[in-house]
Order: sequence, then C-alpha cells, then structure tokens
Amino acid sequence: MRANFIFSEVWIGLRRNLTMTIAVVITVAVSMALLGVGLMINSQVGLMKGYWNDKVEISVFLCKKGTAMPACNGKAITPAQTKALQEHIQNTPGVKGVIFEDEAAAYENFKQSFSSNKALVDATKVEDLPQSFRISLKDPDNYQPVIDAMKGQPGVAQVMDQKQLISPFFNLLNTLAFAALSVAVVLVLAAALLIGNTVRLSAFNRRRETGIMRLVGASNLYIQLPFVMEGVIAGLVGGVFAAVILILAKVFLFDEVVNFFGTGLGWNDLAQTITLTMIIGVVICILASFVTLRRYLRV
Amino acid sequence: MIHFDNVTKVYANQNRPALDHVSVDVDKGEFVFLVGPSGSGKSTFLRLILKEERPNSGAIHVAGKDLARLSNFKVPHLRRRIGCVFQDFRLLPNKNVYENVAFALEVIGKPRRFIRKVVPEVVELVGLEGKAHRMPDELSGGEQQRVAMARAFVNRPMILLADEPTGNIDPATSIGIMKVLDRINRTGTTVVMATHDAAIVDSMRKRVVELEDGKIVRDQSRGVYGQAY
Repeated sequence: MRANFIFSEVWIGLRRNLTMTIAVVITVAVSMALLGVGLMINSQVGLMKGYWNDKVEISVFLCKKGTAMPACNGKAITPAQTKALQEHIQNTPGVKGVIFEDEAAAYENFKQSFSSNKALVDATKVEDLPQSFRISLKDPDNYQPVIDAMKGQPGVAQVMDQKQLISPFFNLLNTLAFAALSVAVVLVLAAALLIGNTVRLSAFNRRRETGIMRLVGASNLYIQLPFVMEGVIAGLVGGVFAAVILILAKVFLFDEVVNFFGTGLGWNDLAQTITLTMIIGVVICILASFVTLRRYLRV
Repeated sequence: MIHFDNVTKVYANQNRPALDHVSVDVDKGEFVFLVGPSGSGKSTFLRLILKEERPNSGAIHVAGKDLARLSNFKVPHLRRRIGCVFQDFRLLPNKNVYENVAFALEVIGKPRRFIRKVVPEVVELVGLEGKAHRMPDELSGGEQQRVAMARAFVNRPMILLADEPTGNIDPATSIGIMKVLDRINRTGTTVVMATHDAAIVDSMRKRVVELEDGKIVRDQSRGVYGQAY
C-alpha cells in the first residue's frame, strides 16, 4: 500500500470537486453541531435532574393562629394533630423520610436565604414563619400522590412541591433537545446524500483512471480507498467545525446556565460529545461513500 | 493457458447468445487471432477471460484457475497476470509516457525502486526510448498504442489480450505495432488478438479462430483472414 499515491489521488479529487466538498463540510458541521447541542442539552437536563432530585422535597406547612389559608379556619394546629399528621406522612407510600422544621429552624433558613436583604430579615419575626414537615421522596418524579394525600389533612395550611416549580423548565429543555436532535437527524440524512453525490461526481471524473486500475488488477481497496478518504476528510473537517461550534456553545450558553441552576456540563462531557459527533460524522461519511461506490464504481 | 469448455453467454435482454457453446484451447506462448464480423462475440470472449462477464453455462480456465470458483476478491490478482490493449489506447491524458506505464505498477502497490527499474526497460521494448517524458497528445496514434502496450506488458503478464489494437492506426504503422506484439509473444507471453485487419492476419501466419454469430466456424493453425477452404 502506497500512502502517498492514495493521498495524492484524494487531494486531486477534493480539489476537482471543491464546491461539493465545501457543501459537504458545511452540512456535516451544522448537523453534527446540532446533534452535539441536542446531546449536551440532554445531559444537562440529566445533571440538573440529579442535582435537584437530591434537594427537592415536599413542604407541608402547618396552620398557626391567624393563618390566612381557608383550610385552617384561623386555628392553630394542635399537638395531637401534629403527631397524627406525622404518622400519616410516615405511612404514606412513596415517602422516604420526613423532617419536622419548627419556627426557629425555619427562621434560620429564612435568614440564610435572604441574607442579602437585611431589611426583610429584620422585619420578620420568628413567630411569622410557619412550622412545616419536610418530606423527601423515594421517587422525586412521582410527587403527585403524596401531595394529594397531604391535602385536606387537619391542620395543614398548604402543600408545596419544588418539583412543580421547576418541571416547566425541564420540559422546555427537553423540547429544545428534541428539536435539535430532530433537525440534526434530517441534516445528517442530507449530509449522507450530499456525500453520495460528491463521491459519484468524483467517480465520474476519474472513470478513466479507475477503469485502468481495474484493468491492471488494482485491488478493490486501492480503487475505492481514495473515494472513501475524500468523504472521510470532508467529514473530519466538518467535525472540526462542529467541535468549534460546540465549544462556543459550552462557553456562551451552558456555562451561563450553570450560574442559574447550580450545575452544568464540564469539559469532560464536552470532550465526550465532540468525540461522539466526530465518530458519527466520519462513520456516516464512510457508509455513504461505500454505498455510492457500490453503485457507481463496479469492480 | 486459456481453456473454454462449452461456454455460452447470453446478455440480459437479448435472445441471441453472444457466445454459443464455444470450446477452445489456447496453449502457453501461443499467438491467436480472433476474427469475425462485428457482433460475432470476439469482445465477449475477451471479457470472459478477464472475468468482466460471467458465462451462463460452461467452464472457463485461465492460467490454471477455474473462473467460476474464483472469488471476486481474487479477480484483481487474475487481472495482474493478464495485460490488455484496446483500440482506443485508454491512456491518461494528464500523465506522460513514463507515468502512464508506471501507473499500472503504482496501483498494484509495487515499490518505487522496482518501478524506476522496469518502466524504462519496457518503454524501450516497445520502441519509445527517448520519448518517456512526452504527453499522450504529443504522440502519434501508433506511438500511443505502443505506450498502451508497454503498460499492458510492464507487469510481465502471462497473457496479453488485444482488442483491435490496430483499429485506429494506418496500415504502415500497424506493422510496427504487430512487431511489438510479436516481440512480446516471443518472451513467452500468450497473445490473443481480436481484429478485423485481413492484411495483418494474412502476413503473420498465426493460429486463427473465426467466430460468427457466437459460434466458432474455423480454428486453423497458421491461418489467413479470408476463406481458406
């Protein structure tokens, strides 16, 4: 096998089909970038779910004297009711654990959460904050039955689930990932067809050479490799552009998300995504080239 | 060297067979003319030897190999032992004489040192010494055909197939081409030449196989082109 022979053939082929080669590079770059972004959103959602699932809990706020919630009728919860409620919670299926947060603990948490807003903290007294049960769940996604079981219990002012607050955001991210992946799939198809066309043109341009190669007994690999390499190189260059786009996406999009949601993708995840998209891009190029060659370069 | 046993070839979408129960034997070192009108099956005969086509029935052996049992993977190796020359030369217009001949060795992975040694020898054998760096369009038809023969012979094939090699060349130049073919034949290479050229066949006095409508109608050693009954 003479590498320099193959590479000079590849170089000639790429140059002769420059416009087609550019089209392939662009299509591969855009499709792989979209595929990568879709995958990155997916793993971002996964990361955030893991992060929030550890923290998400259902808060069952208890009635105190003068609570404005209609379920309380203005009466504070009695110790007996508290005890009964705690037992009820512990017996509810799906509950992993329960912590009772009294007014003092609630005040401490409140002070921490709003430490930047001194006026608010100063204006709030310990008695203003409600007692609550903090319930952690076995399956954080399956919160509705537990919430339903808590509602209407005597002495319960309000049931709140953090999951309910953040799930619209997760849904949005999932939709985005799905959209990016769908467009990527369509573009990958377009890229495959384009590569097929490029290889076809290239095979037509070099039909004289390949005819002679066939005649003098060049092996199939020797005849086909330059064409496949053309596809692979176009795919690789497209993959490099896609990698650049993905790096920019990480720096300017995903790293911003980290600031808001506490967790984000690291360079490791990005490297994995880039590797994966590169491999997919090159494999598609190889497949498209081979399929086309089988049709247009009879050996 | 070449052995056809009751070979029939019918192309798809055609009723009449291109070759009809043809049996023929060509020994090592023989020089055989394949004559007959257009469409008589000469080219099909040559294509079957190269395994570019498959027969519908019958067996073909080339260089001791049963072509029916030869896997596609090994066909290139068969073709390395067979040289081919055509009416239309089939040279690469963007390569000079030397590069055209060297191309045949490059694509079967021969080392460069070997190529540098054998290509000038073959260029000289076909009578093109001193013209190694000419481009094909700077050569006459006869000279181009010599390049094609050098390319066909450079890998020292056991068989040389020539499909109307003098078809595009004037009679005077054709004699030179035939001399080269004869020289190649004398090195022990079996030569099968399909032709329409009566004068050449008559002057060479070699074995003549005549095809008509896919059948062998004459097989004569030291024959002539026309009716010799």
